[in-house]
Amino acid sequence: MRFTASALLACGAALLGGCGHTPGYPPNPILRPTAVTDFATLYSQNCAACHGANGQNGPSIDLANPEYQALVDDATLRKWISGGMPGTEMPAFAESQGGMLTDAQVNALIAGMRRQWSRPDAFGGTAPPAYAQTAVGDPHRGEASYEAHCAICHAATHEQGHEQVTSPMYLALVGDQALRTIMIAGRPDIGQPDWRHDGPGGKAGVPLSTQDVDDIGTYLASLRTMGQQVTTGTSSAQAKSAAPAGR
Amino acid sequence: MPRVSPPHGQEPVRGGPGTAKRVYAWFEQRLQLEGPVKDAALHPVPRSTASWWYVFGSAAFTLLLLQIVTGVLLALVYVPSAGEAWSSLNVLNHQIPLGWFLRALHGWGSNFMVAIVLIHMAQVFLFGAYKFPRELTWILGVFLLLMTLGMAFTGQVLRFDQDAYWGLGIGASILSRVPFIGGGLVHLLLGGPIIAGATLSRFFALHVFIIPGALLVFALLHIWMVLKLGINDWPMPGRLVRRATYMEEYNRLAHEDGIPFIPGAFWKDLAFSGAILAAVAVCAYVLGPFGPSGQPDPSIIQTVPKPDFFFLWIYTVLSYLPPEMETPFILIAPLIGIAILLAIPFWAGEGEKSWHRRPVAVLAVSTIAICFAVLTQLGTSTPWSPHMSAWSGDPIPVRYLQTATPLVRQGAVVFQAKQCRNCHSIGGAGGERGPALDDVATRMTLDQMRFKVVSGGGNMPAYGKNLSAAEIEALVSFLETLHPANEPPAYDASRRAVDESRSQPNAGAPPANPAANRGTNP
Ligand code: HEC
Ligand code: HEC
Ligand code: HEC
Repeated sequence: MRFTASALLACGAALLGGCGHTPGYPPNPILRPTAVTDFATLYSQNCAACHGANGQNGPSIDLANPEYQALVDDATLRKWISGGMPGTEMPAFAESQGGMLTDAQVNALIAGMRRQWSRPDAFGGTAPPAYAQTAVGDPHRGEASYEAHCAICHAATHEQGHEQVTSPMYLALVGDQALRTIMIAGRPDIGQPDWRHDGPGGKAGVPLSTQDVDDIGTYLASLRTMGQQVTTGTSSAQAKSAAPAGR
Repeated sequence: MPRVSPPHGQEPVRGGPGTAKRVYAWFEQRLQLEGPVKDAALHPVPRSTASWWYVFGSAAFTLLLLQIVTGVLLALVYVPSAGEAWSSLNVLNHQIPLGWFLRALHGWGSNFMVAIVLIHMAQVFLFGAYKFPRELTWILGVFLLLMTLGMAFTGQVLRFDQDAYWGLGIGASILSRVPFIGGGLVHLLLGGPIIAGATLSRFFALHVFIIPGALLVFALLHIWMVLKLGINDWPMPGRLVRRATYMEEYNRLAHEDGIPFIPGAFWKDLAFSGAILAAVAVCAYVLGPFGPSGQPDPSIIQTVPKPDFFFLWIYTVLSYLPPEMETPFILIAPLIGIAILLAIPFWAGEGEKSWHRRPVAVLAVSTIAICFAVLTQLGTSTPWSPHMSAWSGDPIPVRYLQTATPLVRQGAVVFQAKQCRNCHSIGGAGGERGPALDDVATRMTLDQMRFKVVSGGGNMPAYGKNLSAAEIEALVSFLETLHPANEPPAYDASRRAVDESRSQPNAGAPPANPAANRGTNP
């Protein structure tokens, strides 16, 4: 008992003495999963798998790109996160859509992304092409624009292997919106320039107009339809079942 | 000076110098404890029993006292209601100064107690101390072991967190396998058909009144017998126990080559108990309390329930057994085990005590110890153990994507989305059912990987029907980049010939790295 007493005293002294670091002090209580509203936790458990640890360098779109954050509005973000992007691997997260997150958690994610990743005046005063495609583009014009703006880096024969943007296999997996988003906001984490710098050497050339983006998008989509003969495509049901089981 | 406190004095107290002495005398006159206590303290024990091997029993008792003291303190705050148990533990952890330490002491005290009781038992068995006349001491000891385990189990239920909830669920499902009365037993255990408030009340009563009461009475009887029958003499090869002569031999030993129990043998008990308490305190301080893990709620499915380390070996055994053997094993094996323990002193109540002459006993103890260790180790490290579903959305290591192409990146998305990592780890994160895939490309060619993903085989599910052609292509082109930079991917010789004839004009150059234009990880 003497030993415990002195051990107790020592611990008590350590605690009160404020050396602060008590190795055994228990972590905060584990919240019920739907009660978690901490952005870092929510993001790392649900999104980091595909969008990268800090919103970049993941296999899918870098949400931490300030230009992306400036391009997209809250309602759109909410729509994609809650309902997923049918036909792609982006899962639906809202409980109402078969996911695991409450509306409050989806809002916490959006607020957190804005807080951490958006920057004022991300576009430096120039107005980017519209986020969503409204007009139908012309695939032939699109092909020409692609040759002018993109092929310099994404030519089929390019030795560093950027050729696969036009491969039907790739296009079968990626949605129109993602392609458009990539064209406009770029992906700084992998070196894809934004709409102002699509051109030889990534130098500021003639920025892409909304029409250019429409056209290139339609052109790329037309290549995908060619690929559809080989692929069955992902159904939205599959995309939903892919929702990762967060903890 | 008048004699103030005669050991068994009947004379009235005639006053004395010290008040303390007078008070003592007043009590002693009425309680008359001094005689028996002195007898017990000073009774001679054989010199050889003052050994470090004989300290485990007293350490177990010391731990019992620690559990009682800390348990009573915990009960002051703990609320045994389904709605509040969990949060009252969090109050203890975070709002009451050193409350977390108290919980940690109680939790670690429990683990230590189970361990010490088991060690004590093994030692008693190996030293033949269960033989005549100490059969009943051993039998009480067996019950003490069962009650200690019962305390460990009911105690973790009181935590009433997810682990407790699922542990209880598994316990109930084991009980429900009992033929005919299974349902009734479950009802009895849970206080109803399901785990609810009544369950917790029941376990609280068991853990706080019923088992501890019995445990204390049994422990005191156990100690009483140790005092009355004497501490087991050190086993000597060739010195056989016979019912007719043992008592006399023992008494001779104790008186001719004996020392008084206190301090002769007792100081080692004290020192060891102190050391064990210190060890408990250190563990509690450094490793902290157990749980509570998440809130108990069957609707929360994002959970990885973990059996207590102590029961892990059972899971291992169960997972090795063919399913039709499970019920008999679960229900019958424990009963047989207890029956054997209880029968030992009657079956081998006489004869050789020394382990030098009891090879079967030594073999049995070591086999059990090794089995326990191995099964527990397997239970913590094999795929069926809890962390097989460990994937929690870890990102793909950045270095694996640095030179990825768009298709490879999509392959990584598919890899994540289809949760291949529930079974496969990359970058050290993921399940352990299948092999780690960090350098899969050095083992398999593109075609072999495609075949594996499409057709599965050997516990690998076949994904052919669940993935589109594009998804499969993306997936394998991602897998193909998984190889160390200095080690080229596996490559099919027939493909090389085709590729070379197509793209390599100078035949002397090393063959093209097929991944060079698909991206590799550095
Ligand atoms: C300055 C060179 C450059 C130009 C111009 C360029 N890109 Fe890229 N692009 C890259 C790089 C670098 C990457 C990342 C490496 C890779 O995926 O091959 C990339 C990747 C991509 C990706 C894949 C993104 C992902 O998440 O996997 C798409 C889609 C893409 N580019 C489309 C385009 C389109 C459409 C254009 C024309 C409007 C274009 N790029 C113009 C350099 C360029
Ligand atoms: C299983 C992989 C996966 C997970 C997990 C995932 N995403 Fe996505 N996400 C994608 C893919 C793939 C796309 C692009 C879809 C496409 O190809 O069109 C995407 C697209 C998006 C977009 C739209 C991008 C645009 O073009 O505007 C947003 C916003 C987004 N994800 C947010 C999230 C958030 C927030 C989470 C976590 C709650 C998350 N994602 C989790 C795969 C995933
Ligand atoms: C249910 C668990 C499980 C899942 C989910 C799973 N695998 Fe496997 N995988 C295995 C097992 C087990 C093996 C070893 C099979 C054997 O013994 O040949 C394996 C083997 C493999 C191999 C061969 C590795 C080698 O070195 O032999 C590859 C490649 C592979 N899996 C890819 C995948 C991919 C891609 C996915 C996701 C689409 C996936 N696995 C999902 C269990 C799984």
